[in-house]
Amino acid sequence: MRLLLTIIALISATLGLALSILPFQKIALIPIVLAFVLGFIVFKMTQKEGKNTKFVKVIFLVTIVALSLSIYRSIFDENIVENDVETINRDAQSEEDAVEELESIEIED
Amino acid sequence: MFTPSNMKHLIIAFFLVVSTGIAAQNQTISSNEKLVFTASYNMSGILTDLAQVTMETSEVKTSKSTLLRLKCKARTFTKWDNFFKINDLYESYVSPKTLKPYLHKREISEGGYYKFMQYNYLYKTNTVKSLMRKRRGDGTFWVVNKELALTQNTKDLVSTLYQIRNLDIHKAAKGDSDTYTILLDNKESKITLTLLGKETISTNLGKKECYKLSISMNNSDLLKGQNNNLLWLTADQNKIPVYAKFKVPVGSGELRIKSATGLKH
Repeated sequence: MRLLLTIIALISATLGLALSILPFQKIALIPIVLAFVLGFIVFKMTQKEGKNTKFVKVIFLVTIVALSLSIYRSIFDENIVENDVETINRDAQSEEDAVEELESIEIED
Repeated sequence: MFTPSNMKHLIIAFFLVVSTGIAAQNQTISSNEKLVFTASYNMSGILTDLAQVTMETSEVKTSKSTLLRLKCKARTFTKWDNFFKINDLYESYVSPKTLKPYLHKREISEGGYYKFMQYNYLYKTNTVKSLMRKRRGDGTFWVVNKELALTQNTKDLVSTLYQIRNLDIHKAAKGDSDTYTILLDNKESKITLTLLGKETISTNLGKKECYKLSISMNNSDLLKGQNNNLLWLTADQNKIPVYAKFKVPVGSGELRIKSATGLKH
């Protein structure tokens, strides 16, 4: 049981870290919270059995890094849209083409 | 999970949610207006900011006339571009006085998917000259030219999107509804707009009293449910679409206003 929970906690922590590096900071909170809860349970079980808690601490460390990264990026990463040359040119070309198409029309107000 | 084709549905849904209307004298739209929105998509129950939608107007002159260019752009935020890059351009060239459309263009570029649609409105013959250009998997293009019958009050997405703001909503009573026809992918679709009442909501432009409208699509499942697709328009002369909620077969999302400049009133 302890081994299974440790594996799930490790996977959750790794997934949380991966998602917080990618632009999925909010979704990353789901595996991060899961990793914390499972990590705590595993830590208590390990302590009770009198075994080494070093590996569980590594899981906590990964989770803390993931959480910090997720919070930092949620606050400081701005939602920016790059106005690249291709898009600017496309807009201008589209208007030029439209003017050509509309040359023959007369507006009926 | 989110895919470029889902985004196509969402963008169309947005335009449908904020599209319906009838021709009237333009009392609302200026020729240098710019509205910027943030589009969010519900990912695993968490709303995630995904794209920026802008609605801009400008004057366009031909040798005979002056038209109003209504331009709507949808762009994913740069951080998402490595996963799915959306760069869509929807345009309508309309009469500045009545917002009657003369040309509509829709260029969809979503990941590897590319499609271009153009409608030339020929009012003398009551037809629409339609052009569709689609990119095949091997990079070649597939072009389809069609001539469609133009029924009265049939409009494209963008021109109806602006015409809705011209509606005299203040004259409508709670529960009033109307049905409009939109030309989408060479097919006519019926849209029903219902006034649910007034509501004051908090937006990036401050607290605004708004008309709360419900949009449903009669002959398509693009918009799900009766009261799942909602639009809030400011209850003033500008009737700015400040907030929209939509539910489509691939998920749900919302649109929030970020900034509004060049307003007429």
